[in-house]
Amino acid sequence: MANPAAGIEALNVYGGAACLDVRALCEHRGLDLPRFENLLMREKTVALPFEDPVTFAVNAAKPLVDAMTDEERARIEMVVTCTESGVDFGKSLSTYIHHHLGLAGNCRLFEIKQACYSGTAGLQMAVNFILSGTSPGAKALVICTDLSRFALADAAAIQEWAYSEPSSGAGAVAMVVSDTPHVLAMDIGAYGNHGFEVMDTCRPGPDTEAGDADLSLMAYLDCIERAYKDYIRRVEGVDFRQSFAYLSFHTPFGGMVKGAHRHLMRKLYKAPPAEIEADFARRLGPSLTFGQRVGNTAGGSVFLGLAGLLAAVELTGPCRVGMFSYGSGCCSEFFSGIVAPEGQRRLRAQGIGPALDRRHGLSLSEYETLLRGSQVIRFGTRDMTIDPQEIPAAWAAYQGQGRLALDSMAGYHREYRFV
Amino acid sequence: MDRDSILALVIGQIRDVVPDLADRPITGDDAMADLGVDSIERSEIVMNAMEALGLDLPMVQLHGPRNLGELADLLHAKHTRA
Repeated sequence: MANPAAGIEALNVYGGAACLDVRALCEHRGLDLPRFENLLMREKTVALPFEDPVTFAVNAAKPLVDAMTDEERARIEMVVTCTESGVDFGKSLSTYIHHHLGLAGNCRLFEIKQACYSGTAGLQMAVNFILSGTSPGAKALVICTDLSRFALADAAAIQEWAYSEPSSGAGAVAMVVSDTPHVLAMDIGAYGNHGFEVMDTCRPGPDTEAGDADLSLMAYLDCIERAYKDYIRRVEGVDFRQSFAYLSFHTPFGGMVKGAHRHLMRKLYKAPPAEIEADFARRLGPSLTFGQRVGNTAGGSVFLGLAGLLAAVELTGPCRVGMFSYGSGCCSEFFSGIVAPEGQRRLRAQGIGPALDRRHGLSLSEYETLLRGSQVIRFGTRDMTIDPQEIPAAWAAYQGQGRLALDSMAGYHREYRFV
Repeated sequence: MDRDSILALVIGQIRDVVPDLADRPITGDDAMADLGVDSIERSEIVMNAMEALGLDLPMVQLHGPRNLGELADLLHAKHTRA
């Protein structure tokens, strides 16, 4: 009997409708970053008032669902939303997403949380559902959706957020998981975990984030080393330098990934700096293609990295990608899978890069207007109608492409429309 | 290795990772962030210092010092115990 196959059949990224130049933001905030280029940040996506984690998720998933036949769509038996941007303590985002995608009722709907690790947790749950064989031919829809809107709470919130404001982005990654994994065929049983309790970054209330950049970095570095060592404990004959043609790591910002790669190469091989630099450029550089443009997308970032590398490199045959996911608090996983030219062709057909090019470039004054959030529906709001015209040019550009927009809150219910 | 030698080693690693600081006087009272060393560079400096001392500990155990003198104290304590 052939080995069972499971993994990502189709993947799409939604990188939002508006973006900000990160260097301009740093200068505006008076941040002294003498070696800014080393941080490998360019732009970040900023959520507009009529966008929320549901609109991001639906806008990422709809092209994948629309491309399916009715029979295929009817086999989506699980919608897992992976997020740290929830809008309700009880009702999951999956219920709204399932509705606006028009999926069948015989479906498990739930939400997963573990900071930026959530996407990998969701993918592994879905992969194991497929592998279990309890519903042969079934598909799962895994959607990572996160946005950062952390200056709303009060005047102190923007100070609390200062350490990560330049890197905090917004975006969603939708993945159809099935037994026909065209985009990423998971290496079944090849994974390693590391988790421990640490207070590095958290979201202690709605619209606030707090953290310690040094501690978070250290926890990430400890995790990549130990999760990788757990991976090689499970998988025979692995060599970090040889076994993975490409790599994609969770990307708070590119400089973090570069630091983690250097850490691993020093710890495992005491590799000299020139070798580390060349290896980074070759195996990890391509994964930063989209992350540098949308900022940290939290749960989805490791898959955004996978999409970026498939967009950037030329595959001539199947090859292995090593993936590392880290979520503050903390939990992490190193895992791997196989990518191939056919999956690359399918991924490129989504036109992710051109969609990012079409985002509205925000001025700093428009950004500050959005930060004040007068049209944002706050957590716990009962009734409110959004004026989508706060940034008129962004609203004008948003319409006409069949994207979902948040319209209002009525008795705590989120009301949306396709525009 | 005594505490002051560890401090000198850390300062050497700082100048190595951030060549812009080659000519700047650095003492135990300085904090890396105040010297303009960014968070990625700070972690690289700590890792290099641990490697030079032959220490293999979780990085999170090196979190907390507010300046280079306190970092040298902590590394010295870990080194003595190792």
